[in-house]
Amino acid sequence: MLHDLAPQLFNGLVLGAFYAIVALGLSLIMNLTGTINMAHGSFMTLAGYLAYSLVLRGTSFWFALLAAPLIAVMVGVAVERTLVRPLYRREPFYSLLMTFGLSLIAEEAFRLIWGANGVPFSPPAALAGTVSLGFMSFPVFRIFIAVVLIIAIAALAFFLTRTRYGLRLRAAVQDTEMIAALGTNTQVLYAVNFGLGIFLAGIAGVLAAAMLGLSSTSGNALLMPAFVTVIIGGMGSLFGSVIGGLLIGLTISMTTLFIPAASEVSMYILMAIVLMVRPRGLFGEEGIFG
Amino acid sequence: MTRRSINRRTFVTLAGAGTAAAFGIPAYLPRIGEAADTIKIGLVEPYTGTYAALAENETRGYEMAVDAWNKRGGVMGRKIELVKEDVQADPGVGAQKARKLVDQDKVVALAGTVSSAVSLSIGGVSNSLGTLFMDSGGHSDAVTGASCHWNVFRTCHSTWMETHATGNFLAKRFGKKWYLITPDYAFGHALEEGFKDVLGKIGGQIVGDALTPLGTTDFSSYLTKIDAVKPDAIIVLVQGEDYTNCLKQMAQFGLLKKYPVGGPQVELEPVLSLPPAARGGYWGVEWYYKSELTLGKNNKQAQQFVADTIKRYGQPPTARNCFGYVTGDRLIATMAEAKTTDSTKLARAIEGTRFTSIFNGSAYYRKEDHQLMWPMWIGKITEEGAGGDKFNLFDILDTEPADAIEQSVAEKEKVCKLGYP
Repeated sequence: MLHDLAPQLFNGLVLGAFYAIVALGLSLIMNLTGTINMAHGSFMTLAGYLAYSLVLRGTSFWFALLAAPLIAVMVGVAVERTLVRPLYRREPFYSLLMTFGLSLIAEEAFRLIWGANGVPFSPPAALAGTVSLGFMSFPVFRIFIAVVLIIAIAALAFFLTRTRYGLRLRAAVQDTEMIAALGTNTQVLYAVNFGLGIFLAGIAGVLAAAMLGLSSTSGNALLMPAFVTVIIGGMGSLFGSVIGGLLIGLTISMTTLFIPAASEVSMYILMAIVLMVRPRGLFGEEGIFG
Repeated sequence: MTRRSINRRTFVTLAGAGTAAAFGIPAYLPRIGEAADTIKIGLVEPYTGTYAALAENETRGYEMAVDAWNKRGGVMGRKIELVKEDVQADPGVGAQKARKLVDQDKVVALAGTVSSAVSLSIGGVSNSLGTLFMDSGGHSDAVTGASCHWNVFRTCHSTWMETHATGNFLAKRFGKKWYLITPDYAFGHALEEGFKDVLGKIGGQIVGDALTPLGTTDFSSYLTKIDAVKPDAIIVLVQGEDYTNCLKQMAQFGLLKKYPVGGPQVELEPVLSLPPAARGGYWGVEWYYKSELTLGKNNKQAQQFVADTIKRYGQPPTARNCFGYVTGDRLIATMAEAKTTDSTKLARAIEGTRFTSIFNGSAYYRKEDHQLMWPMWIGKITEEGAGGDKFNLFDILDTEPADAIEQSVAEKEKVCKLGYP
């Protein structure tokens, strides 16, 4: 049993870390501005394609892993400035519809630029192959992904809790007007916050493109679990997004082991249970949308 | 606000005109005389979503066939016109678009599809409308089996043909203990049934069967189970993006080097989106642009088709291009030969007629079930394109004749009733 269980546990955690980092980006944007970013998956795909194009032009994978998310952030900030910002004062579903439309446009745009067919993108040779852990062998790249995601989550936690700007961001979530009155430029704050969310999505996008496939629709496949993660973890709680992601990853991998046919539905069952017992999610605040 | 140079009325007029120009409203206005001039064929393909690449290539095949006929002056003095609709791999949308094409656009026949589910739904709708439907790319057995209709013809191979072409080859080459990775919906179960039939006859065994939901991104949970059962071969039945995800992860888990891999069918499109390290294995191939086994010796039509496709679209044709071309060419040729666009007369004229095309030998749409009876091939996937051609990733090894791999007429007659009016 250990033979089966141990690799599955690890798989579940890697998968969960993916959902967590996508959910963290969603949460950041949602907490501060009430925007439900349906185009989040498109930014993941964008970063994946950018990394692919960079590597194709001769840059190293390591450079692309950092540069592609940063370019995606530039696009993201431009989108925030021109399309999302005018909708902040309206009800959340305006920005939801807008970003949903954006994701459809993005999908077609990717198809026009990079073709309807998926493109080959793989981790560098240094990360290929497997390591033997005695009772199991595991792909090096997955271990690398786990390490990168842990670093990214830790860096975000450090930024939010230990830096002055992070403090302002958290304060703005609680009371934007007060922060503005105290002299912080909230417009810049919104842009930085949006960019931060997109950066996390970008990192996940590049790693997912290398581990899974890369086509115009691939980012959206990871978006749904991320939304479920936010709901389970609780809206408004970043810590909840991390725990929620890991919980979903483990749930999916364990159901795949024992009842494969239920693997897709298991996260929704988990969501239903959490919502019944604790409607605000595990770590959520009450009435986040007022 | 006093310097406003555009008032509301001007704005409405300008915006209205602009919108009309931008969205091409004139195109929707009836063009007098057009209906009588052209023969319209309705193309139903999933131009958006997962199957978009396959849809695009099938469409290119149809375009090549139509343009070739139009260059020769069309049929009965009339040009052929393709009317395209996006069916989004959704059976409901497919049915609706099929109706629209027949009722509004007055197409004389429908053709296309990639997803079997859409093929089946359009098969049903077109039957109720009495319009011919050429299923060029939906593989499910039911299309020419339990759900067959007098007006429905299928060009690509059935799932039964795919499993029976590849099953014996894979068992002989690698052994009879298989681990299956099966997509958990009708198409996957049909393939599974086909392989069970093959293995049953030779005393083989399925030692593991991972049922993966359509759209699975992470296959690791299924892959880590494989070492425990130590199969002779891993048989991959998933298709499209799932195929890419699965093969890539098999390479990452070191399984591609450890176990022989193969499957009932592989398409060039998903293989092109795999990195070299994830390419490999032995698979069923429905057509290939660079092999004498698939094209035939000195097949002028095939050579021309390959050369023209490369010239026009900048890349060689895949099996999808072939499906589109063969289907379109056969449909139009029959209209020309029978001098009619009447569905019933066309159906009667298509069935049983032998023809040669861009593949090796001759073929025919079988009278009893309307399945195109043509061979399948076995190919090995190579990591890098041979001879400096990055598309040349298949090494074709063997031909499996149609009669040996499809169910017999007697077997088919038990499930399929064509029901001519």
